[in-house]
Amino acid sequence: MTRSATGKLHVYVVLSGLGLLGGLTLGRPELVAIAAPFALFVALALVRAKAPSLKASCEIARERQLEGRRVDLFLELSADRTVPRLEVFVDLPDALVAEAPNPILIRLPRGERHELEVPLRCVHWGLHEVGEVVWRARDAYGLLVYEGRAGEAHPLKVYPRGENVQRLLRPFETQAFSGNQVARNRGEGIEFADLRPFTPGDRVRRINWRATARRGEPWVNEMHPERNADVVLFLDTFAEARRDDLGTLDLSVRAAAALAALYLREKDRVGVVSFGGVLNWLTVTSGTTQLYRIVDSLLDAQIILSYAWKDLDVIPPRTLPPRALVIALSPLLDDRAVGALLDLRARGFDLAVIELSPFSFVPEGESEVEQLAYRLWRLRREALRSKYAALGVPIVEWREGVPMEAVVEEVRAFRRHARVLRA
Amino acid sequence: MLALGLGGAALALLAFGLLVRWPGALGLGLAALGSEYAVLFAAEGSTLDRLTPVYAAGLLLVAELAFWSIERRVPAWSEPTALEWRLARLGAACVGAAGVASLATVSAAAATGGGGVVLEGFGVGAAIGSVVILALLMRRLFLR
Repeated sequence: MTRSATGKLHVYVVLSGLGLLGGLTLGRPELVAIAAPFALFVALALVRAKAPSLKASCEIARERQLEGRRVDLFLELSADRTVPRLEVFVDLPDALVAEAPNPILIRLPRGERHELEVPLRCVHWGLHEVGEVVWRARDAYGLLVYEGRAGEAHPLKVYPRGENVQRLLRPFETQAFSGNQVARNRGEGIEFADLRPFTPGDRVRRINWRATARRGEPWVNEMHPERNADVVLFLDTFAEARRDDLGTLDLSVRAAAALAALYLREKDRVGVVSFGGVLNWLTVTSGTTQLYRIVDSLLDAQIILSYAWKDLDVIPPRTLPPRALVIALSPLLDDRAVGALLDLRARGFDLAVIELSPFSFVPEGESEVEQLAYRLWRLRREALRSKYAALGVPIVEWREGVPMEAVVEEVRAFRRHARVLRA
Repeated sequence: MLALGLGGAALALLAFGLLVRWPGALGLGLAALGSEYAVLFAAEGSTLDRLTPVYAAGLLLVAELAFWSIERRVPAWSEPTALEWRLARLGAACVGAAGVASLATVSAAAATGGGGVVLEGFGVGAAIGSVVILALLMRRLFLR
């Protein structure tokens, strides 16, 4: 806690001194009479000056909330002595906005508990701390100011808002366990695949009676089995394009959270690799717990500047299981990420790149040179995109405001005609 | 003329202080108001001014309102009682100021007839002592 004198205190002391000494000098008691109230005012304030001991306790209605939703913060304030003017400011990170007046001015009588309810709107995902209060109390005379902090910080996890996606990318190859993905191979399943002649050992229930009657010999149905898939969400956290309220990392985190939730709902195993200045990973697993793990790890995703060269060798091998579908979410701004994706493709991974377009975050520039540089930059990005496409990697640009459903559909359309190449 | 000039200067300084939110200008304005009063009664003669308590209360009211105006603004008042309490305190301070000024004036009037070196010395000591006490109080508060 700090204590400071206001300008008013200094002015009153000087006025008192001037009045009293002026009265003496001029021999006029009137000057003393008009200075005396100021002197008494200051003397009373200084004699009675005592710092208030403020206690603040805080509770949050929820410890987890989705981006864009509200969460209520309950504050309880009390003081050991009456504070005639107490300014209370709930210290909030930029990602949280108070929907009630903040700061507020109250009078806090001694021993009374003052309860405040502050609704907060979660405007940005992340792990935030709320509950600390910055306060400023003035004494009854307005001559002294006490400032301090109170309360304890409570963690609040704001999960990214999910993108609306109905249909998912289907991996080229599925895994051995049962799931909801229709495998390309044939076996026990529900989806019809083909007809073939009956062979000893086939179950009678699989005989296709119409085909059998038409051909005069028994024919059986072949089915596609339902299998699960391994999906790795590959986040490029080397660099991002950003303006005040939004950046490409925000888009990638939202997309990753939505895709993880959808794939896990389909009984697939999902993992995350956050490839950037700091490498974070989660090995592929299925289940609701994994969804929470993934979302929690996404909250830690941040751009950390690093000049160290990194390639795929730094990623633990188990993080990228064989036959996994790798969905890369990248603004393709850093050569290390671009190289790593090309390397992934060269190693035979089933790769799809969702390019988080940085164009809406980078102004074109006003001068001729700036506009020329901008056009050259765009051309270089076009060339890079062509390079991926030539390698059979579906690459789709995701611009701000475009629904993710359209992006996924575009990747699906590309993959309908593409084939996996083995290096 | 001098009083009028001082009054005008006080008004200008107060307006400037309120505009730029600078306590120093407000202090100078208040000092100019006090000086104007001193010049006025010096010109009038040696009789004690009966309106001194009113003037003292008025000066304190002006000072309080001026400093209230330049306080940092807090956008929301959660409680109207905070404002009511402050207004009540301001009223009480003005009444108190008038009382203290009356007391000082009456004491001065009582002492006018039977004054002497001892009483005058006592007055000088009281005035200087008051300033010293205020300085000591401030020092105790901010240096501990």
